[in-house]
Amino acid sequence: MDLFNSAIDGLLKLFFGAFSWAPPLLGLAVLSALAGVAMLWVFGKTSNQARMKQVKKKVYASLLELRVFADEPAVTWRAQKSLFAANLRYMGLALKPALWMIVPMGVLILHMESFYARAPLAVGREAIVTMSMAPGWDARAAAPSLTAPGGIEVAGPPVRVEAEREISWRIVPRADISGQLVFRVGGQEIAKRIEAGSRQRFVPGKSVRSMLAALWDPSEPRIASDAVEWIDITCPEASVDALGVRLNWLVWFFGISVIAALLLKKRMGVVI
Amino acid sequence: MSVSLSRRSLTVAALIVLIGAGCSRQTTRAAGKKMIVLGIDGMDPQFLEAHWSSLPNLNRLRTEGDFKRLGTTIPPQSPVAWATVTTGMDPGGHGLFDFVHRNPTTRMPMTSMSEVTEPARTLTIGPYVLPLSSGTVKQTRAGRAFWQILGDHHIPATMIRMPANFPAVECEQQSLSGMGTPDLRGTSRTYMYFTHDPEEKRTTISAGEMVKVDVQRGRAILKILGPPNTLRKDRATTSIDLTVDMDPTENVARLTLDGAHTVLRQGEWSDWFHASFPLIKGLKSAAGIFRVYLQQVHPYLRVYVSPINIDPAEPALPISTPSTFSRALADSVGPFYTEGIAEETGAYRAGLFSKDEFLSQSKKILSDSLRMFRHELAEFQDGLLFYYFSSVDQNAHMLWGKYDDDLLEIYKAVDAAIGEAMQKAGNDTKLVVLSDHGFARFDRAVHLNTFLMKQGFLALDDPTKVGDDELFAHVDWGRTVAYAVGLNAIYINQEGREDGGIVPAVDKQAILEKIAARLKEFKDPANGANVVDTVYFPETSFRGRNLKYSPDLFVGFSRGYRASWQTALGAVPRDTVEDNTQAWRGDHCMASHLVPGVLLSNRKIAAGEPQLYDIPTTILNEFGVQNASGMIGKSVF
Repeated sequence: MDLFNSAIDGLLKLFFGAFSWAPPLLGLAVLSALAGVAMLWVFGKTSNQARMKQVKKKVYASLLELRVFADEPAVTWRAQKSLFAANLRYMGLALKPALWMIVPMGVLILHMESFYARAPLAVGREAIVTMSMAPGWDARAAAPSLTAPGGIEVAGPPVRVEAEREISWRIVPRADISGQLVFRVGGQEIAKRIEAGSRQRFVPGKSVRSMLAALWDPSEPRIASDAVEWIDITCPEASVDALGVRLNWLVWFFGISVIAALLLKKRMGVVI
Repeated sequence: MSVSLSRRSLTVAALIVLIGAGCSRQTTRAAGKKMIVLGIDGMDPQFLEAHWSSLPNLNRLRTEGDFKRLGTTIPPQSPVAWATVTTGMDPGGHGLFDFVHRNPTTRMPMTSMSEVTEPARTLTIGPYVLPLSSGTVKQTRAGRAFWQILGDHHIPATMIRMPANFPAVECEQQSLSGMGTPDLRGTSRTYMYFTHDPEEKRTTISAGEMVKVDVQRGRAILKILGPPNTLRKDRATTSIDLTVDMDPTENVARLTLDGAHTVLRQGEWSDWFHASFPLIKGLKSAAGIFRVYLQQVHPYLRVYVSPINIDPAEPALPISTPSTFSRALADSVGPFYTEGIAEETGAYRAGLFSKDEFLSQSKKILSDSLRMFRHELAEFQDGLLFYYFSSVDQNAHMLWGKYDDDLLEIYKAVDAAIGEAMQKAGNDTKLVVLSDHGFARFDRAVHLNTFLMKQGFLALDDPTKVGDDELFAHVDWGRTVAYAVGLNAIYINQEGREDGGIVPAVDKQAILEKIAARLKEFKDPANGANVVDTVYFPETSFRGRNLKYSPDLFVGFSRGYRASWQTALGAVPRDTVEDNTQAWRGDHCMASHLVPGVLLSNRKIAAGEPQLYDIPTTILNEFGVQNASGMIGKSVF
């Protein structure tokens, strides 16, 4: 799992690096367009294109009926039933390609979150680091030690939260840095990447121990210690800015990928 | 063709709009004239005179410009005084006479500055009551604000925190309401204090609520109360849960609201928490902000939660004009206190805060205020900028006469801000610094109702029931001639006005004169000093005749004396005068001539005895505008 995740992250880092000179939206737009084209190709290959064509014709016919016979209630009612049925059939036909696409798209989106969903910590603004401990943890036992890289201040002692099996530290970035927080837990060292500053970059999410959790939080290698479930840093949400419009990256991603697919569907001969 | 024409038309239109926007400030009547007015509540002339050497900017302002005492209002209370600055009228004109008025019929105290009207038409659906017409919050003050008059003449003004201006008066000027702005719960300010200390027996505390909490496995859930849900039939109080997890051994805790964590050490203040109090789940909520002070973790948790301030980014009530102004300010300077008086004098008076804790909170407010002040100073280009500082007044109440060094630190911070304003003003901008009143020691608390009782003007249904019970709990109205409520006010229990009043209108003046004579003879039993310096009758003290809520007599105490807290809310304790042992040690609710304010300017002041009501006239005249109807002042220059 770690190998798979780091391979995808590695590819995305290469891509992100290639566009590091440009505003984040440019790289995101190219990636979104490529994803749109890929989705279109998968849709064409995995759906029943002939049936789709038929169903779409039925939809158009029903819409036309509604418009032409607007003053005839019986016809309108029949057309609405027909339209509803055709829509259901269309959704049924789209289900198979959707199932094909959901896994690769999900993996892609989860990995892209590290590049576009989270912003680095703001310099001078407090943030909270939380470590979740494995069952059996004794809240009265000494808390793990935390060593922060230069530029990150650990502001005060940790809080051991018995009710949640968690330990929280308050940290304050004092400089623009990319580094690692190092925790010492029962003689074992655990590292967690930390990013602070204003430049958008790869910002990993939660570090986790279990393989299942690593599917959802794939941005760092799994935690090797059995004593720790996960480690998280509260990062600000990032947004992608274009012409003064600030939107969540997913809005740009889906918008651009859908536009790319719509523009290329005829050229690629795909009915959607 | 049509496309290109349309594009050209749009371009031309856009250019016209842009040019218009760029020129709009130059086309005002204010072109070339600028004025900065700083309102420093409670700045005292004697304190200034004793500390000129520590206040370099104020000292330079008086030597290069001028410094005079500024006559205050009767009574010298902030809402009354600032309403006079706002309207240019005396209290008889604008109709504000105290922090609290009394309902003439019921005699019950009520807030003097604003009133709320419920929606007239509603629709009930299940437990919900949906308003079909809007409810209103409106000011009770009469008269037009001077910045409205400036607006009539297209002179821009930015008014930050003018007291007694909630809701912000409607106009096209930028304004943010000040003293009188409620918290989100609709109270003047209510803080909450949570503890699981079994020794803490109090259930009621000054201006706040004491809440006992359970701690299980180091965790306490604090139920933070929001506004009453006016969309529900039962008007159930809204709330949110703030989770506090205490470390088992260290004096540190984690606070969690809506999944977001904050870590605080004992003795630390949190940053602002943003809270949404649900009115209709998932559809409608009221936005508030608050700060938390982790006073103690072990052995017992003690947490102070500030009043829930109206979130300036999503204001639930009209705190600014235009309504988007508070959001723009919050975007520029971050969240800020919106409640009228934010300094936590209540927790200090209740003994929950030490002096240092009070000062740490007070300095946070001043720091917020200075941040906003610097922003507004940088933005100021044309017309008028008014900025109000509350810190000197609120700190003087708690520090006066005992902690002068601490108070001087506050004066110094304001002095530095004045220095920045002087630099911005240069030679081409008039700068005026004023205060609404000065200060004096508050050594002895006077129970006016007890005085009236002992003089035979007030009777109890059982003479043994003297004490701190408020709202005239044991007063026999059938035998009572006069009563006191508020800080300087005595009312006649008048037939036809008060419900069950017994004094015929024809006898009123004679009784008032008798009370006034007794007040002038009123000696402090402890030392024989005069308790009262001056007694004022509204008909002879005011030019205005808007006297609906006016007391029948104003008591101007000697320096060192003030009406007790019990008097303010209609209690009748045993003794007439007692030592003020509370942390609130300075005050100004005395005879007006004993506590004048200050007036400083970077220009010479021509007026021999400038008065508060001269200030709006001075501002209007600066921009070539004459007094409006009802204004009684003259320019001080």
